[in-house]
Amino acid sequence: MRRAQPSASRAPQVALVSRPPPSRAANLRAVLAGAAWLCAACGPARVIAPSPPSPLPPHHEQAIDTTPKQRPRMMPPEVYLRAYMMWFGGLAPLDVQARARGKQLFDAWDDYLAALGLPDYRLDLPRQTQTNSLMLAVFGRLGEALCVRAVEHDLHSPKTPLDQRVVFAFDPVAAPTAAQFAERFDVLHRGFLGYPARLAPADRTARYHALFDDVAHRHKGKNPLTPDETGWAAVCTALIQHPETGLY
Amino acid sequence: MRWPLLFLVMLAAAPDTRAERALPDYRYFRALSIDLLGRPPTRDELAAFEQPGFDFDAWISTHLGGTGYAERLRRVYMDLLRLEVGPSFQFVPNPLVLRRQEVRGPDGPIYVYYRRGQRRVNPSTDGELCLTEDDTGQEFPNNAAPIGIAHEVSQAVLDARTVVVKPWWLYADYRGATPADRNAPDWARRFPGFQLAPGLLVEPDGKTPTTEVRVCREEAQAVETGAVYASGRTGGKKGEPPPAGRTTQPPGDSGFARANKGRAVSCLSGTGFQNSVECGCGIGLERCMPGAGFVNEPPAFLLPTHTPLGGDAPFESTPQPAGAWERLWWGEEAKHFLDKILLEDRDFRELLTSRSTVVNGPLAQFYRFFAGATCCGGAADLGYSDPTPLVEPGAIPEALVPEDTATWLPVADRGPYASGILTMPIFLTKYGSRRARAHVAYSAFLCRDFVADAVRLAPSTEPDLTKRPGCSSCHQTLEPMAAYFTRVMESDWTFLPADRFPMSHPLCSRPKGQPGACKTIYDPAFTTLRGGYASQPHAEAGPAGLAAELTGSPEFASCVAENVAQSLLGRALVPEDAAWKAELAKRFVAGGYRMRALVRAILASPRYRDANDRRQR
Repeated sequence: MRRAQPSASRAPQVALVSRPPPSRAANLRAVLAGAAWLCAACGPARVIAPSPPSPLPPHHEQAIDTTPKQRPRMMPPEVYLRAYMMWFGGLAPLDVQARARGKQLFDAWDDYLAALGLPDYRLDLPRQTQTNSLMLAVFGRLGEALCVRAVEHDLHSPKTPLDQRVVFAFDPVAAPTAAQFAERFDVLHRGFLGYPARLAPADRTARYHALFDDVAHRHKGKNPLTPDETGWAAVCTALIQHPETGLY
Repeated sequence: MRWPLLFLVMLAAAPDTRAERALPDYRYFRALSIDLLGRPPTRDELAAFEQPGFDFDAWISTHLGGTGYAERLRRVYMDLLRLEVGPSFQFVPNPLVLRRQEVRGPDGPIYVYYRRGQRRVNPSTDGELCLTEDDTGQEFPNNAAPIGIAHEVSQAVLDARTVVVKPWWLYADYRGATPADRNAPDWARRFPGFQLAPGLLVEPDGKTPTTEVRVCREEAQAVETGAVYASGRTGGKKGEPPPAGRTTQPPGDSGFARANKGRAVSCLSGTGFQNSVECGCGIGLERCMPGAGFVNEPPAFLLPTHTPLGGDAPFESTPQPAGAWERLWWGEEAKHFLDKILLEDRDFRELLTSRSTVVNGPLAQFYRFFAGATCCGGAADLGYSDPTPLVEPGAIPEALVPEDTATWLPVADRGPYASGILTMPIFLTKYGSRRARAHVAYSAFLCRDFVADAVRLAPSTEPDLTKRPGCSSCHQTLEPMAAYFTRVMESDWTFLPADRFPMSHPLCSRPKGQPGACKTIYDPAFTTLRGGYASQPHAEAGPAGLAAELTGSPEFASCVAENVAQSLLGRALVPEDAAWKAELAKRFVAGGYRMRALVRAILASPRYRDANDRRQR
């Protein structure tokens, strides 16, 4: 950035005049004034008596509605953790960590337990009762990792027998039609959200189908997983990151 | 043509095997699963829910009482009481911790286990490792690496100063004549969570499995009572260098030792450890904890860092000292005690009043052998050397071996001073001061808190906080409650019995020559036991008196209802909930203070059912 430089032509034109020397009386006045100022400065401090603060007058009054509000509860983090263990094959915490850790999809539980809202009684850290972005990011990331692992386990060649699949308990079809997708999507929807997709908002299945198609299309020939498998992993991830999954 | 058509119409109209459920039903079922099973419903459970004839009430009854329910309710009170202690509370009493030094034996490096402060007749080793610098070529300062060049210790010296023991941490049958049940892979199944630090399982070469340990001869003694030993020494002066060959001044005789030479003293007390050369770690070293090193807190066990899903589903384990092992089980005692009350649907007031508890192997070891180790310090000079336990060691089942983490046995009666969680080590150490103990009980069980008056604080010399301006508004309530803990030492479980500790002690009332314990146990400002000034009747009633006061308060049931309802609704109760809360409290009392009836009433309420009735997204 350029700075404006003062210009000689814009300098104020001040006439040089000679100032008369101060008189002795003026000097005396100045000395006395200074002494008086010094005396005042060195004197005892002025004591200000304490007084209780008076409340500020209200500008206006507003009624506060204290009636109970029905808001969705946050799933306790312990339940959330247990749900993850259940959804992804009844694994123990350290097994989940080991399974999700490959390919840098996840690191270690201990890095995240506080972010998930768990209390730490030893350190007197309280339980978090409201979600926060860090918490959602952690669970979302973990869910994404485990969804990919579940696709690998359930659908990727060689396919696991239907009764042993942990998440994708259906037979996938290539490039499913809307009806074929809806039938399979319902399996995931019921698993994660606990109710049939037909009871969800009307466009939910269609939107997830669009997501499936979009992801599958973008991953043609790019991934160790087939495009459809990648599509199902994306649908799984989107469901596990759905607000209804973590609220109840 | 008409009959087939009619048949098709009838077929189409036939009911689906799945009942038509609405979204709120599904959400209610999911909420119930989360709160009673601890997880969302499985596919199979959803399918069962969709069958005609599914009965919500019957389903709730079936699961109201399972482990998921108990864990859910336990969390409510664990969140309030936070009954776990971390490393900020160190538990490393010298009588309990066996540290070790590496020396050169005739066949190579070996470990020698010893206790800091162990009394020995030999003044060269009294209070230190039983091997001298002449024996080993090294000095072994506390909490630091050895100094000097090691030379071989002869077998004769080793045999004279040490013995070989098959310790409890390596043998589950250590009390037998020929222990053989050695720490093996199957221990992971038999004793889940009992994992020794790797260094305790191998010899100094890092490969040879440890099958027995060499320990100083005094530490291996097993008598329960020793004679008070007086060496005639007065102890070194501050700053004076230790005698040659020692790293510390040899211990001098305490006032207790001088006054009681030759008298019997319990080896299960810290006083016995400090004043007798005959007190050791007992059979199989069961009165001591191992440590893989010489530092203050050497690693001893691999312990889980977090167990939000319970001890059987740990999240990472790291080597931690023996003190962490004790802290872990103190916390587990409170959890299992709560679970027992909830699972058996016992009177919830027992949480505060019951003299019973449940213990496993590590807790049994603690109560039988360790609890007295912190007693009695300077109190011995006031005649207290044989501690009166808060928990009677004789009440603890002897059958539990220290490594048996999995077996939990009931203890019907811990003794006359026990009172629910209020006298458990976890509560007494988590809330170290008497006021902290009273405060948390007041908040968690009466749902009230201390809020100071908005008054100007003026300087005051008034020692009585119930009278001091600005303090009195809270302390008039707090101090008498804190007085219930007068006879339990702060940050400890040592009980101060009335026959040894009158409210005012004549030795502590004299102007000069008071024993040192007078300042720690008695309050100079009031010349009474610390904490007892506010209410001597409360001091004599003890923690059981506080339990009676809390559970007898009309606010107790209301507070339980509030705590549980708030947790299950996921929101704070507001004034509009007051009538409902009162009804819940009434039902709780009418049901004999059983938690199951209260929870059922909350789960069946529209407030719970509608708590997730949000608009669809």
